[in-house]
Amino acid sequence: MFVFLKTGANQKNQRNILDFINGINGVKKAKYYGNKSSMKFLMKRLKNLKSVLKNIGPENLPAFIKINFKKSAISAIFLSNIYLRLKSLKGVKLVYYNKMIENKILQFMFFTKVVGFILFLLLFILSIFISYSAIKLIILRKQSEIEILRLIGATDNYIRIPMFIEGEIGAVLSFIISISFIYAIYKIFIFYGFDGFLRFFHIKIIFLNPPQIALVFLIAVISGIAGTYLSSKKFF
Amino acid sequence: MIEFIHVYKNYDKNYVLRDLNFTVNKGEFIFITGHSGAGKTTALKMLIAMETPAHGVIKFMGTELNTIKKSDIPFLRRKIGFVFQDFKLLPTRTVFQNVALGLEVSGIFGDIITKNVSELLKAVELYTKKDEYPLSLSGGEQQRVAIARALVQNPQVLLADEPTGNLDEETSKIIIDIIKSFNNKGTTVILATHNKHLITGMGRARVIDITKS
Repeated sequence: MFVFLKTGANQKNQRNILDFINGINGVKKAKYYGNKSSMKFLMKRLKNLKSVLKNIGPENLPAFIKINFKKSAISAIFLSNIYLRLKSLKGVKLVYYNKMIENKILQFMFFTKVVGFILFLLLFILSIFISYSAIKLIILRKQSEIEILRLIGATDNYIRIPMFIEGEIGAVLSFIISISFIYAIYKIFIFYGFDGFLRFFHIKIIFLNPPQIALVFLIAVISGIAGTYLSSKKFF
Repeated sequence: MIEFIHVYKNYDKNYVLRDLNFTVNKGEFIFITGHSGAGKTTALKMLIAMETPAHGVIKFMGTELNTIKKSDIPFLRRKIGFVFQDFKLLPTRTVFQNVALGLEVSGIFGDIITKNVSELLKAVELYTKKDEYPLSLSGGEQQRVAIARALVQNPQVLLADEPTGNLDEETSKIIIDIIKSFNNKGTTVILATHNKHLITGMGRARVIDITKS
């Protein structure tokens, strides 16, 4: 991130800005470039194209502070926050950082959230449909048994409860398999260092925490109950 | 105990029962006879609320079956044992388990099941085959299992729909003797058959010919 200072900014302003920057948790290094050193900096960056600076003198260039952040502290929200705070400081003319990347990341995050939610809804409906179909098949297979049970005085609940149990066993097994599968993928990501690569794009790979696992379990149980209820309701 | 009052039953325009009237008292042995399609099975099915009459009233122990609630049907069926021509046994359960099912559906478990099922299997002379599966038994043996299952809940009435329909003459006699022995102990029996040979020699049994209805 680059903080360009106003031409008339005095030494006190520079000192205040530098102190402020160094006080931010997550800043690795902050270096001040005066007019002359900013010329050197520019020439070093432009390398073979430094001829474009032929008619430009150091007095035409603004003084600036270059900030390097610690990798672990970088996030879109963190950078936006620092950007806004620096911009409001006295003596600061312009704060530059690659906002385009930040916007892209924010867009990507929003997109993944929307896609994730749609996928969740689809998979939830699909899981209910799978439970529904599985129980429907069980009912069809056991139709003569159900008929006999009814004739000898079995209540609908007596017939339904084992089906609910079967539906729930299926749901819990699906939960265990899917959580194990996600954990295996997570471990593969960690093993091959994909997490480091993705951190570069401000994406952190984490495994589900216990409340999230509990939520997935709850969803599995609900889909099992819903599927069994719908199929048994159709036949009883 | 059981009353059929002006009972009619039709399937589309075809009436199988027309103005059927009869009464059954406690402890009686009733034969319902008539040719095939006369409505014998339909009459029995009405008693366990598998069918409803088009007109008329059917009463079981004072309760009108026409207006019985769906949720009360299982409790009615526990008071009435039903023996089917095709046995209706569960092939995946042993003889003992099939008979025990009659008690399990009523929420009875444990030692009572062992005691009651064993007694009934001894009464129908199938105790030694309690661990066998229905498909390994003869037709007569399967029907005896079905009788034991129908009687395990100690019902007030035993309905038997052509219980000897798939059996030879000798086995039929054994089945009828078993049913008769339970009738002698006080169970009311209504047996539907088109076989008039079964009726001969049944002494105090009453015959209701529904062909005339």
